[in-house]
Amino acid sequence: MIKEESILLDKLKGTFKSQSGVQQEAWKMLEDIGLPTKKSEAYKFTQITSVLEKKLNLDFERESEFDKANQYKTEGSHLVIRNGVFSNAESTIEEGVIVESRDVTEGKHDPFSLLNTAFSSEEISIGVEKITAPIFIYHINSSGFTNPRVKVSADKNQEIDLVEKSYNSEGTFTNAYISFDMGANAKVTYSKIQAYNESSFAHETIFAQQKRDSRFSTNIFTFSGALVRNNITINLDDENCEGYMNGLYLLDGNSHVDNNTSVDHIKPNSYSNELYKGILDEKSTGVFNGKIYVRPVAQKTNAFQSNNNILLSDNATIHTKPQLEIWADDVKCSHGCTSGQLDEDAIFYLRSRGISEKNAKAMILTAFASEAIAHVPVQELKDEVSSLIEQKLL
Amino acid sequence: MISIKNLHASIEDKQILKGINLEVKAGEVHAIMGPNGSGKSTLASVLAGNEDYDVTEGEVVFQGDDILELSAEERARLGIFLAFQYPVEIPGVTTTNFLKTALNQIRESRGEKPLDAVNFLKTMKEKMKLVEIDQALLSRSLNEGFSGGEKKRNEIFQMAMLEPKLSILDETDSGLDIDALRIVANGVNTLKSADNATIVVTHYQRLLDYIVPDFVHVVYNGKIVKSGDKNLALELEEKGYDWIKGEVAEAV
Repeated sequence: MIKEESILLDKLKGTFKSQSGVQQEAWKMLEDIGLPTKKSEAYKFTQITSVLEKKLNLDFERESEFDKANQYKTEGSHLVIRNGVFSNAESTIEEGVIVESRDVTEGKHDPFSLLNTAFSSEEISIGVEKITAPIFIYHINSSGFTNPRVKVSADKNQEIDLVEKSYNSEGTFTNAYISFDMGANAKVTYSKIQAYNESSFAHETIFAQQKRDSRFSTNIFTFSGALVRNNITINLDDENCEGYMNGLYLLDGNSHVDNNTSVDHIKPNSYSNELYKGILDEKSTGVFNGKIYVRPVAQKTNAFQSNNNILLSDNATIHTKPQLEIWADDVKCSHGCTSGQLDEDAIFYLRSRGISEKNAKAMILTAFASEAIAHVPVQELKDEVSSLIEQKLL
Repeated sequence: MISIKNLHASIEDKQILKGINLEVKAGEVHAIMGPNGSGKSTLASVLAGNEDYDVTEGEVVFQGDDILELSAEERARLGIFLAFQYPVEIPGVTTTNFLKTALNQIRESRGEKPLDAVNFLKTMKEKMKLVEIDQALLSRSLNEGFSGGEKKRNEIFQMAMLEPKLSILDETDSGLDIDALRIVANGVNTLKSADNATIVVTHYQRLLDYIVPDFVHVVYNGKIVKSGDKNLALELEEKGYDWIKGEVAEAV
């Protein structure tokens, strides 16, 4: 096979200076496999490489959009990470929470994970020694190209509620990586609001590896961004694990959001449930790809998935694709995706009771979205999502 | 209260109403009867402001206002209420929350303060008794999974909460067993006063045993072809709609 020339990789090569073995190895692997091309199935509707070739500006610094006053008020640990570098001075860390900056260790082997491994300034590891209040992470990404990298360990029986928020400045490309290593009976929730600058680009890799009786869930709410791609992978690598992925994308303008999710049932008796809702207005584009793998030994798997979309404009687009690969025979799996318009009969019904058209639409859409936000563990975040939905809809 | 003159309406270029004339005064109950497809439900939808229909001719004056240019919500705020033949199921929106929004938007349009939670709940409790509706039902998603009878009772409950001037009941009796019919009719009768009016759209005479009309009109082929008192409904029950169809054919 003849490798395609990559302008982007050539451009990046000039800036790659790391002496670390892990990073050099990652760069070499990336050069070998290359970034996604126009022909890559996994990026079919999100031509991220060609977008970045045009837009990526490696060395500039914008003003940060972060304001300490915007931090969540909920009690817990509050960690500030500036352009991928942990800022101890700006952070407050509760007793029992261990945060460490360290050299980059190995990560996943897909192109953007490798890119992150190669270019990360440092790896921020987070662990807990006891059950604590939620941990909030604020990423301030104001440089042209940043590779924030966080590794979370939840050891046996530990519980972590992690809430992440990124402030990505205009014109920046953020290639984030976060992984969760979960011990037996650990419980982790990962929640995030993505309300990015409309001229910023983000690729985020979320990777969870689960052990026996553990429970992991993601709650991701996307409101804006020129291009946002979320790669979520959950490996249910033991028996009796539970994996949940909940998401909502509520888009307008030219926002483009791609949720590429994968849950891998590697061992028997595990459960996964994925629920994504989309509301698309104006010229926005949504992409949803949900993969479920059930390995031959993974008998008694229960795996469910649904993706429902409402298009509010003739110029909005949704590409949705469930992808089930099941090699075991004693399993319960279901998937469903729907795309449609707002129900005009329902709107008339509400209006005939005196409710304005705008309010009627907002009521129906809020109700539609509510299922996707029901599982957020932190009330303050739930309220924030609700008010962002309201702002968008009213 | 409402004066309908020469009302013509169509849907997707199909003419349904072909010159309806009707005058309803405060304190009156009018029954609109007619065979299937005659246009009686269309009349109800057009009066409530359903934009699926195009009004091509005529006028509708409600308490002095020409309402044909008004949106559905504006008409509701003036005091027009349509009890739907097929109440819509709206997942995720509770009846309570929906009614609170509706009531307060109506109040706001009249320059009144929104009802606080305590008073709203108090009013709700009172009106719930009227149609023997259960609190648990109102905490659920609007009409979702409701039985036919529950949906219709919920319509009358909403009517009781919003206190309209003109209530239009569109085939409220369809799908009701006799007990539910009695409860619904009882609710409507209790709400009746000298200041409001009711238009009952129905295919059968049955409902009119319970909600006794002052006037009965028969709609056929988009027009009112016969009007009378409550005895007209009984006559129709006995002779069937073919009798009317025959009369109309003869007149032509």
